[in-house]
Order: sequence, then C-alpha cells, then structure tokens
Amino acid sequence: MSGGAVERRFEFRKSNGVRGEREEEDREEEEEEDEGNGRGLEAWERAYADERSWESLQEDESGLLRPIDNKSLYHAQYRRRLRSLSSSSSSRIQKGLIRYLYVVVDLSRAASETDFRPSRMVVVAKHVEAFIREFFDQNPLSHIGLVTIKDGVARCLTDLGGSPDSHIKALLGKLECSGDSSLQNALDLVHGYLSKIPSYGHREVLILYSALSTCDPGDVMETIQNCKKAKIRCSVVGLSAEIYICKHLCEETGGSYTVALDESHFKELLLEHAPPPPAIAEFAVANLIKMGFPQRGADGVIAICSCHKEAKVGGGYTCPRCKARVCELPTECRICGLTLVSSPHLARSYHHLFPISPFIEVPSTLPSNNSYQRLPKNCFGCQLSLPNPGSNPVLRVACPKCKQHFCLDCDIYIHESLHNCPGCESLRESKPSNTTKV
Amino acid sequence: MRAAPHKLKGFRNTFTRFPLMLLLAAFGLIYRMYGSNIGSIDGRTGFTHTTRWAPQSLVDLDDSAPSTPATPGKSLATVLVTPPSKPQHSPQIIPFMAPAPSKLYSDDVSLLVVALDTNPFFWGGASSNPNTPSLSFSRFLNHLLPFLNSIILLHQLNQVVVIATGVNSCDYIYDSSSPPMTSAASESRNMPSVCSAVLQNLEDFLIRDRQIGKDELAAGNGSSLLSGSLSLALCYIQRVFRAGPLHPQPRILCLQGSPDGPEQYVAVMNAIFSAQRSMIPIDSCVVGIQHSAFLQQASYITGGVYLKPQHLDGLFQYLSMVFATDLQSRSFLQLPKPVGVDFRASCFCHKKTIDMGYICSVCLSIYCKHHKKCSTCGWN
Repeated sequence: MSGGAVERRFEFRKSNGVRGEREEEDREEEEEEDEGNGRGLEAWERAYADERSWESLQEDESGLLRPIDNKSLYHAQYRRRLRSLSSSSSSRIQKGLIRYLYVVVDLSRAASETDFRPSRMVVVAKHVEAFIREFFDQNPLSHIGLVTIKDGVARCLTDLGGSPDSHIKALLGKLECSGDSSLQNALDLVHGYLSKIPSYGHREVLILYSALSTCDPGDVMETIQNCKKAKIRCSVVGLSAEIYICKHLCEETGGSYTVALDESHFKELLLEHAPPPPAIAEFAVANLIKMGFPQRGADGVIAICSCHKEAKVGGGYTCPRCKARVCELPTECRICGLTLVSSPHLARSYHHLFPISPFIEVPSTLPSNNSYQRLPKNCFGCQLSLPNPGSNPVLRVACPKCKQHFCLDCDIYIHESLHNCPGCESLRESKPSNTTKV
Repeated sequence: MRAAPHKLKGFRNTFTRFPLMLLLAAFGLIYRMYGSNIGSIDGRTGFTHTTRWAPQSLVDLDDSAPSTPATPGKSLATVLVTPPSKPQHSPQIIPFMAPAPSKLYSDDVSLLVVALDTNPFFWGGASSNPNTPSLSFSRFLNHLLPFLNSIILLHQLNQVVVIATGVNSCDYIYDSSSPPMTSAASESRNMPSVCSAVLQNLEDFLIRDRQIGKDELAAGNGSSLLSGSLSLALCYIQRVFRAGPLHPQPRILCLQGSPDGPEQYVAVMNAIFSAQRSMIPIDSCVVGIQHSAFLQQASYITGGVYLKPQHLDGLFQYLSMVFATDLQSRSFLQLPKPVGVDFRASCFCHKKTIDMGYICSVCLSIYCKHHKKCSTCGWN
C-alpha cells in the first residue's frame, strides 16, 4: 500500500525510478509481512470480517426483524439516477453519437490490491469487457481503443476499432501489473492518437485509476491544458480514493469523476459511461459523413474477403464503392476507406434522439374515497395486479402523456431497455415528430 | 565423453545414460505439449469463465438458442448486429448480450405471446380493394384457435398469451395462466375454454377499439399498432422472467396482415433490439398481401422465423408445422430460411433506397446528396 497519502513525484531519469522502485518494494514487503502476521485469518473468516452482512438488517418498533424491501430501494435509487440525468433540461439535449473513446486501464502496482476480489486488475478487466459490449450496443457507430499504464509508461493495447472482438481478446490475454502509474504519459499518448480522428467525432477518455499517485516526467497541468484545447472529454473512475489531480482533470475537460466503493458500485459507475453524454456543441463539428449501405452477397458466390485475405463462399457484404467483400458490419472498407453500416445500426441510436419522458409517481394519498374504483387494477404493461396506493412505499407510476399506470419493474425495464412507453404506443394519435422512415 | 569426476557416477555408464536421457526427452516433450495449457489456466481466466454471466441452463444453451448457424442467413443475423459467439463444442460460452440475470430455462416449456392483428380496415376490406385477404376473419380464427389449443396441450406448463393489435389501441385478450372465469360459455362441452375466452374478449376489445376511433378520422394507410403490442408482449415476458429462477422459454409470434406504418419505425426497432438483448425470438406469419419489412427485420435480427404462407386455406398446417415447436427443437428442423433481407436505408429527401449516402453526425438523418446544412437539425 502506498500509505494513502496523495503525492506527486517528479522523476526525470529511468534509472532513478528503478532504484526508487526497488526500495519501495522492500518497504512494501515488510508491510505485507506485518499485516499477514497480525491478521492470521483464514479466507472464509475474512469474508465475515470484511463483509458483515448482519449490519444491513433492520428492526421495527416491536423488535422483530423487518424484511428488507429491496425492490423499493432499488426503484428509489433508479429514480434518483433518472432525475439527476434529466434534471439539466426537460427538452432533448444534443448528444454526441459518434464517439471515439479511449479506455485507459491502470496496471500499476496498486492494481494488484485485493480489496476487490480477486484483485483490482481482474475486476477491472472483467467489467471493462462488459462495458465494451454495452458500449457497442448503445453506440454502434463509435470506436474504442485500449491503453494500459505500466511501469510509468503508457502503451496502446488495441487501436481504435469498431468491433468488440479484438478488444475483448486483448483483455482476456495475460495482464500483469507492476510499477507506477503515470497520468501524464497516458494523456499524452491519447492526445496524440485522438488528434488524428475526423472532426465530427467526439473525443473521450475514460481512465480507470487504481493508484493513489502519479509519476510524471513533466508538468501534468500543461498536459491537462493541452487536452482541454484539443476538446477531449476526460472522465475518471477511481478505485481507491479521491485524488485532487483527477478531480481537476475532470473539471477542466468537462468529464465526470467518480470513485467506486465496491465491485457492484464500480460496475454501475462504469456502465454509466456507456450511453452518450450530453455534447458540448463546439466540441465536434457537425458534418455530413459519407457512409455506404452494402448489400448482402448472394449465397454461393465465391469472393476473397478483404479482412481475412482468404476465399469465402456466400454471405458477406459488398462495398458499394469499390466492390470489395467484407465479412461483418459496421466496419471501414479496407480498400477505399468508406464507412459501411446497415440501417439497424443507425436505428440503435435513435432512442437517444427521441427519449421518453420519465414516469411520475402516483401519490399514495388520494383526496376522495371514490377514486379507488377508478384507478386501474393492473399494470398496463405486464398485467400485474397493483395494490391500492394507500401503503407507504410507492407501488405504481404513471406516464405523463398517456396516463397509464405501470408497476415499478415495468418502469425500470421501459426506461433502461425498451425505450418505448407501451401506453403511448398503444394509442393512435397524430404524431408530428418521429417521421423517420427507412 | 568422459564426464567430470564430480558429476553423477551413473552417467559414466552407458547403460544408464541413454535411458535417462530418453526419459528426460520424453518429459520435455510432454511438458511442451501440455505445459502451455497448464500455464494459461491462471487465476484470472479461471475466474472469468466460471463466475461471470453463468447462464446455468438445464438445457445446454447452444441448443436452445434460436440463432444456430445452420443456415448462412441465420449466421449473418448474428453477425449483423454484434454477434453472440456460439461455437458448438464449448458449453460455457458467454452469449453476447447486455448483462441479464442468470436464467434457468426449463426443458420444452414455452411461453408463446401472440400479437394478433385485428385491424378492421384490413380484415373487412371490400372486394374491390386490392388489399383484401382471401381469408375472412372468422375463418382465420378457425385456424388460429385450434393452434393455440394445441400449444397448450403440448406440455402441461406451456403458456399462451394473446394480445390484440387494433387500429386505435392494443390490449391483452387471453392469458392461459390466469384462472378461468366461470360463465355459461366456458362450461360448454363442445368448445375448449380457450376458444370461448378468446372469442368473448376479442369481441369486447373490438367494440372498445371502434369506440376509441369513432371520434377521429381514419388515419394513415390503415396500419395497426404493431409497436404497441410488441411493447406489451416484452413487458409481460419480463414479468415472467422476474417470477422465479425457473421459467419457460419465451417467444413472440406476430400474425400481421396490415401494412407497416412508417411512423412506428423507431418504436418497432426499439422493441426489436430489446427483444434481441433478452434473447426472445420474434416469429412472424404475414397473412396480408405484401411482405412486411418491419417483421422481416424483426425475425432476422432476433433469430425468429418469417413466413408468408402461399395458401391461406392451409394456415393451420403452416402454423402447426413451423411455429408450434419449442425453441430447443428448432435446431433439429428445417425451418423457412430468411430470404434476402434488405438492410439498405432510404434517403429522407426522396425516399428511395440508396447504396451510399450522407449521414448527419448530430441527428443521423440520411441524405443522398451532400448538403451544406442538415435540414432536420439545422447544423452546418
């Protein structure tokens, strides 16, 4: 453990760094031995000592154990999150749909800590894989690249690519952590790569920081100013504690800084970065981008595919400009450079452009007695029977437009996955917007 | 060949030296062949493969999932939008989907949600109207009701839910798991209770639907609210997923006759992607005159079956041969293959399908020619 103190060390030569590292390693080994002797607990005992599940029980007035109502807790949490997301404006805010995101994974010595089981690095790799899949699910036209920081040096693990397979394969390979972490080197590397992308793309960096310090070869404030000038939005998810330099970085560039408390919280914080953030208009130039919509090749046609350089029978797509065969979409044609997409990929992003309004809670107290009969007895979406709103926790919500009542689970599902209100869709009305057609 | 005197005495003797070396060579070979495998099972990969999504199915999920790459068309469905990677030999493949709670599927038990098109503009069209189907609504129900009954009879735990897609509203018509209401009609010995319940509720629904639309003029091109019934079906299936660890395998069957309403495109695509994420196949049986592009895409993306029967007189045969089988058995059957789904887009200005177009980076509008300014969102 690096003592928990916030430090910044300036190191100018690698030889100094190596010597310093060895000294620190000796010190660390002594600390670990002390800790090991002091505890003397087995792994199963440590689970009880660390997790303390009995502390989450509650008692009611007469001293009996009250069952924890997880559902309403979860729903309250969900609504808080929804309110914070939509509190900025009630109208549609512009979102950056074409994103070029670099995920920086910290593989310094601090990533081998075991406060996340089995170690921080393993947990981070696991959740970054889930994040990548979710990211491409929500932003099919965007690109991700992976960067690691190890021994004070930032290295590019995978280049900017539009399909999840290459990144996930790189993540599943053996990752080792050692050395210090350097924020400036990572930002410099990412800045160099992101300066080459087209101007309509939104540049973002997501840093997963386990260390408590950063070891930089120069002035990190200057690098932060460079990133701000290059319009790169940097966000950090910390795993150990809040660090001032990360907070400053995020404030300057307009990103978000969060620190994870435990593994499930980390996953939640990470997945919050999957939907597109509100875009700052000057950051990306709005442009009309030329894209191709390839047709599927007929079955039985033999062609040499341009990605694997081998002959394939049937299937595949033909680039409309240069007629090269590609295996999957979305991709960039290797011969002529045209971005190839299909219409479902565009359709995946439409729900960001046409979001549904959050449902309002039906108040538990009602003015008159007759209203109980007029309230619908079942949830409109799933036909679950809803009890009358008289008891304390809120059990039903209503859509502000179609006034249908829904249960809490349908509310969460509709807003997180479906993005259609069943009540509004089941009503024939003249809709002036949403006149997109394929 | 004289080894130094301080080395092992045995080596000097030829009889012990060569067998020893052979043994060492054999060990070396064995280590090289298997040692690499041993080396890679480090703690990290061991953890990730057993504790992650872990869909602990009683049935191997590879067999039950509809998108088996039996046909090149179906494998492209997986390739098109972020594929689930399913090599058949490995049982612990993590399917590519967004995080869903681990599910246990029961063998052979299915939940069938039928989205039934009851658009009176379609079914009651005049004979001069070229869109009139050759089947009347009552004969269509004659084919449908025995099919629903047969699904219920196939397995004790099978469940059928019918949702009506009207022209002005959508609603639940029948749920086989809800307790039957005792009425004179259901006690009839000649009709199973599903028929009477469906007919009664359908009549009530059609009266209500007409009531809602009475005050407004006939809108659009006579399309029905497909997006509404798909959304209702998905909400119901999510409720079944929440009910317990063991639940039936759900699928949606759309019986559609009305043409597609282009104003519902975004909502239908949202429903399709949500179904794909929860691994719910959407089958379609089109009883109308023209093909439905929405349902073709739906079945392609979610791994369902799309069928437009040629002879509507034999509709029950089509339904029972193609749509009655549960998902696990589909891997053993030759089902209709998807025929060339066209995923090209149409430009917003002329509405013609284009091969190459210009997309606005802010609002994703599609144009066929380069403009200085996007007319939808006003950015230049």
